[in-house]
Amino acid sequence: MLEARLDTANLFKSAVDAIKDLVQDCNFDCNDSGIALQAMDNSHVALVSMMLKAEAFSPFRCDRNIALGVNLTSLTKVLRAAGRDDTLTLKAEDAPDVLNLVFEATAQDRISEYDLKLMDIDQEHLGIPDTEYAATISMPSAEFKRITTDLMAMSESVTIEATKDGVKFSSTGDIGNGSITLRQHTPVDKPNEAVEIELSESVALTFSLKYLTNFCKAQPLSNQVKLCLSAEVPLMVEYGLEGGSYLRFYLAPKIGDEE
Amino acid sequence: MPSATLPQKRAFGEASSTRRNIAATPSTATTKKRRIDEPTSSPAQRFKSSQNDSKGRMASSQQKSVFESEVLERLNQDISDLKQNNSEKDQAWERPPIPNDFDPSKHSLCFQAIEAEEGTIGGGQPAVKLFGVTENGNSVLLHVKDFKHYLYVAAPVSFVVEDCLAFKAYLESQMSQNHQYQQVIHNVSLTMRENIYGFQGNVQNPYIKVTVTDPKHINKVRTMIERGEANWKGMWKHDGGIMTYDSIQYLLRFMVDCSIAGMSWVEAPAGAYDLIHMNKQSNCQFEAVISYRELISHKPSGEWSKMAPLRILSFDIECAGRKGIFPEAQHDSVIQIANIVTKYGDKKPFVRNVFCLDTTSPIVATQILEFKDEGKMLAAWRDFLEKVDPDIIIGYNIANFDFPYLLDRAKHLKVHNFEYWSRTHVKSVAKETNFSSKQMGNRDTKATNTNGRLQLDLLQLVQRDHQLRSYTLNSVCAHFLGEQKEDVHHSMITELFEGTPESRRRLALYCLKDAYLPQRLMDKLSCLENYTEMARVTGVPFNFLLARGQQVKFLSQLFRKALEQKLVIPNMRSESSEEQYEGATVIEPTRGYYDVPIATLDFASLYPSIIQAHNLCYTTLIKKKDIERWSLVKDEDYIVTPNGDMFVTTKKRKGLLAQILEELLSARKEAKRELAAETDPFKKAVLNGRQLALKISANSVYGLTGATNGKLPCLEIASSTTAFGRQMIERTKHEVEERYCIKNGYSHDAQVIYGDTDSVMVKFGTKELAEAMKLGEDAANYVSSKFIKPIKLEFEKVYFPYLLINKKRYAGLYWTKPEKYDKMDTKGIETVRRDNCLLVQTVIEKVLRMILIDRDVPGAQEYVKDTIADLLQNRVDMSKLVITKALTKDDYAAKQAHVELAHRMKKRDAGSAPALGDRVAYVMVKGATGSKNFERSEDPIYVLEHNVPIDTKYYLDNQLAKPLGRIFEPILGETKAKSLLTGDHTRAISVAAPKVGGLMKFAKKTQTCMGCKKPLTGKEESQGAVCADDAPRVGELYKKTLDKVSDLEVRFGRLWTQCQRCQGSMHCEVICSSKDCPIFYMRMKAKKDLEDANGELARFDFDQAAIW
Repeated sequence: MLEARLDTANLFKSAVDAIKDLVQDCNFDCNDSGIALQAMDNSHVALVSMMLKAEAFSPFRCDRNIALGVNLTSLTKVLRAAGRDDTLTLKAEDAPDVLNLVFEATAQDRISEYDLKLMDIDQEHLGIPDTEYAATISMPSAEFKRITTDLMAMSESVTIEATKDGVKFSSTGDIGNGSITLRQHTPVDKPNEAVEIELSESVALTFSLKYLTNFCKAQPLSNQVKLCLSAEVPLMVEYGLEGGSYLRFYLAPKIGDEE
Repeated sequence: MPSATLPQKRAFGEASSTRRNIAATPSTATTKKRRIDEPTSSPAQRFKSSQNDSKGRMASSQQKSVFESEVLERLNQDISDLKQNNSEKDQAWERPPIPNDFDPSKHSLCFQAIEAEEGTIGGGQPAVKLFGVTENGNSVLLHVKDFKHYLYVAAPVSFVVEDCLAFKAYLESQMSQNHQYQQVIHNVSLTMRENIYGFQGNVQNPYIKVTVTDPKHINKVRTMIERGEANWKGMWKHDGGIMTYDSIQYLLRFMVDCSIAGMSWVEAPAGAYDLIHMNKQSNCQFEAVISYRELISHKPSGEWSKMAPLRILSFDIECAGRKGIFPEAQHDSVIQIANIVTKYGDKKPFVRNVFCLDTTSPIVATQILEFKDEGKMLAAWRDFLEKVDPDIIIGYNIANFDFPYLLDRAKHLKVHNFEYWSRTHVKSVAKETNFSSKQMGNRDTKATNTNGRLQLDLLQLVQRDHQLRSYTLNSVCAHFLGEQKEDVHHSMITELFEGTPESRRRLALYCLKDAYLPQRLMDKLSCLENYTEMARVTGVPFNFLLARGQQVKFLSQLFRKALEQKLVIPNMRSESSEEQYEGATVIEPTRGYYDVPIATLDFASLYPSIIQAHNLCYTTLIKKKDIERWSLVKDEDYIVTPNGDMFVTTKKRKGLLAQILEELLSARKEAKRELAAETDPFKKAVLNGRQLALKISANSVYGLTGATNGKLPCLEIASSTTAFGRQMIERTKHEVEERYCIKNGYSHDAQVIYGDTDSVMVKFGTKELAEAMKLGEDAANYVSSKFIKPIKLEFEKVYFPYLLINKKRYAGLYWTKPEKYDKMDTKGIETVRRDNCLLVQTVIEKVLRMILIDRDVPGAQEYVKDTIADLLQNRVDMSKLVITKALTKDDYAAKQAHVELAHRMKKRDAGSAPALGDRVAYVMVKGATGSKNFERSEDPIYVLEHNVPIDTKYYLDNQLAKPLGRIFEPILGETKAKSLLTGDHTRAISVAAPKVGGLMKFAKKTQTCMGCKKPLTGKEESQGAVCADDAPRVGELYKKTLDKVSDLEVRFGRLWTQCQRCQGSMHCEVICSSKDCPIFYMRMKAKKDLEDANGELARFDFDQAAIW
């Protein structure tokens, strides 16, 4: 039996929104520590890893391990019916056929309830092992979104170069080239706008912008985003949430001149 | 050794161990047996040997292939029987000698002319060369001399007989202005002829016949006249060009005038011909010269419809290619040439041999000719070719591969005189040709001349006459002969060649089989008979049938008929106009599922019978002003067709086309009658070929009148024919619905639910099959009586039940007698189309079968649901998902899946990538969101090897959805039909984890609990099989996994033996990689599944709960 309640549906909505374009069908693994999701996109270039810890919910109850096979397109359709500030409750039996979603608009005393048919998804569980990254950059998530959108106009790929001076995002395309450099700065009054760089070694890697813009759909989840890079390993983009929950994306770097 | 370093891309799995085993064991066994199998000359000994052999086989296991033991050994035995009553000796290459007592003054030279070509004799005198074979099997070349080519010009009014000489001199002088100084014009005479084009009031007009000395001048003379440069004394009043008549190539002119048909018998009477001994132009046994006046041609009927004992050589070569590159003549040697020679009429080949490079272990009943040097082998093969002197050379893809390759290779190795394959002293050269016809489309081919010998490339033949999914020899044989052969990838051939004598023997067997199969195919499809009869019926040489289009056949017939009736055929300038006329009509279908019998009424040979009934012809076409001139009476002397053209009736003149058709159709009836009475299978094949040829010829008459870029287009005939056809279909509908209604005392109102070109489908309303048949019969007779003879409406069949999907799309159960249905008939439904995957075909077929035959609609729905569920869970065999498309050109404007894949494959491995003209096989795989279809096509073998997930959604939405919808919508209604594709059964899916992709290098697989799918992350758990919660279930789960492994082992073992059976040897490793074979994919998948399952099983070894 699973029962998990979120104070605002917005968190779940944004998370699903950011995942749905990468993955169509996947399992939500629920156990007593929370709800986790791990899936790779169809072209096997990116991986999504979501962890919503039990603490993020109030209350949270899950007696046994439950795998909820969800078609994310269908889930998005259902979630569209939820208001931003509604409370959201997820419920499921132990061996479930359906996922029950309840949206409550406390101000209007409006309760809507949906049942979403589940799927039986047989998929291998793949993960990226934790690594020590050479560079870890924290920056405002809105800024990251803006950079990807701006550079998308120039090219399909972006080179992220982290040095001790700062981090440089640059793109070269048919119409010209462009770059954005951010230097480390920590305004005391606005901690949300801080740019912090931890560096053990300079790195420069190239990534597909298409995927990065996709990741940025998770921007409403968090004010800050963390980019972790090391030579020849996938980039990790993490949107941290309160209480240790997170939504992480991994993206394989582009190698050589392959398209 | 190269084979050791080569990547074992296509030698699978357990190969390594198996291979070592075979190398050791069987060689001893075969060497022992080799002595026994050696072909011996005395029949007694051979008989003994075959006895020994069968015993030996039982003792020394079944290591011989089926092909060897069943085909070759049997051949050996049969040959000895054959020897007694046959002139051919087993494995004797030469033709039977010329009879000793042959005397040209006493014996006539009678032979079947298989080929004709233009040539010269005695220092430049034009002659026609007729190649052929006598009844004794002697080869003949007959030079026919003295025949002169000619043309006609309409004589001007003032031209009289006396002007002929003057006109001749004038033409001669005009020609010499064009730098022609030798005598060109042989004769000019005035004859009475009639123009074929348009009704002439049955009056013959004077025509000038210009005969030239040499056929090569004819075109110059013709062009000169047509340009108006020969307007003698300005007699032709109008300016510009003058129309000439009877434009036909010399060879055909000769055959028409001497009434020689292709493949027919001709006779040079005793004393009328001279044998040539000195300066022979050929290596034929008889070479003779005769004047065309003396030549006797036998009409191919009765006794003369026989066939000469033609020698048919079927061969195949093997080349040692380099890894990853298709063999190129400059680098890669020819290592084996297998030959099978059969005499027409015999069931068994009398020569079977393989020319091999390097030592090769013997094969039963087959000569192995070993050579150390490739050049010597090629030279020896050439000598063999000359000695065996085949009349017909057949093979599979010989035109585009074997012939040019041998020539190029010999040139590269500088083999002297290798290129003389023809019967004359003409070198064989491979030329690039482009064959293009409206019917067959464009095709780039190579053509190699073998003057005097016919060629039949079975590949081209099958491509021409049959629509198949794949044209590899393997799949063609599977289709027609119901047997498979192993398909050795060309990169494996080198490996086998560089092995031992045993492995080369294996290759030789493979090669021999490839040479044997075309012969079998030819027999099975009766190609030789059908084409021979076509040549005889239409009168063109055999080679024309393959190299030329439809038109020449029709023209040959037309010229023959025109000659009889003293008609001349204008040389119309062929201009390709875009003028379109209205085609056949289609009665709008009343779509739906009919659970009552639907009778089908067909017009028998609709267009030919219209042409006959309404006397449509070139000779009967008449213009308005001519009607007034001769004051003809409408409907009495002439008719107006529904689209306003006018033709005179038979009362005035019987059309030439009508006569040709009448003859063709009555000849067909005759042939069919003889066919029914005949018992000899060879004669039966000939007769069946004839009736087919007659039918095809009759039906092509209409088409050629409508071919605007043809020689003699006549749109009036074509459009009138279709107009009559349309009118008749409408009329039939009207008559049937008028008569069979409640008002006239019938139980139901009949309804015509559909009609197309020459048939109408009638719902009489009755539920009784027998009654529907009776009504159909009745209606056919009733309606027939309303039309002019010989138009006949026939009742042929009843469809019950019948599913009418759309125009030209329907399915039904086909009944001709009320007791039992004949078959399931489908038109335009995915079962026969080639541009989709096998899954669609099988599902649709099965569904139709369940609906139509079993009448089990719920069952069909269940079946569809199960299939879709299997598809989504990746349980469908990949061979069923493979789509093939021909790679016709490199740069399509729009990107296409198969073209893009071919590009990508070329980047990966240029050698195995499909080349232009190949059919590309591909599957659709999952791609990034928003990626186009053409980015997601992938090579099936790559997919198998790397476990790339299949885009099941694509198959569901783009392949299955539409055809299923079309079938189920009329039966279930739209909403219910849709639920088939979205119901609960689509909720279980499986996503494969691939071995490729940018992230896969980094990703680590986390095992999930076999019980509850929870990821096993804990340290103790991570290697194990189950999570702590499910620990008590470990026994149950272990059992389940173990069962799965053993099931898969059995499955893989079965598939492996299946392939071994197919290759015909139980001791050799399977090397087949046939992309057409479902077993191949199954075997590959089973192997992978087994590996995976073994991995799963191994997890229990580390499981805490399982250790006690």
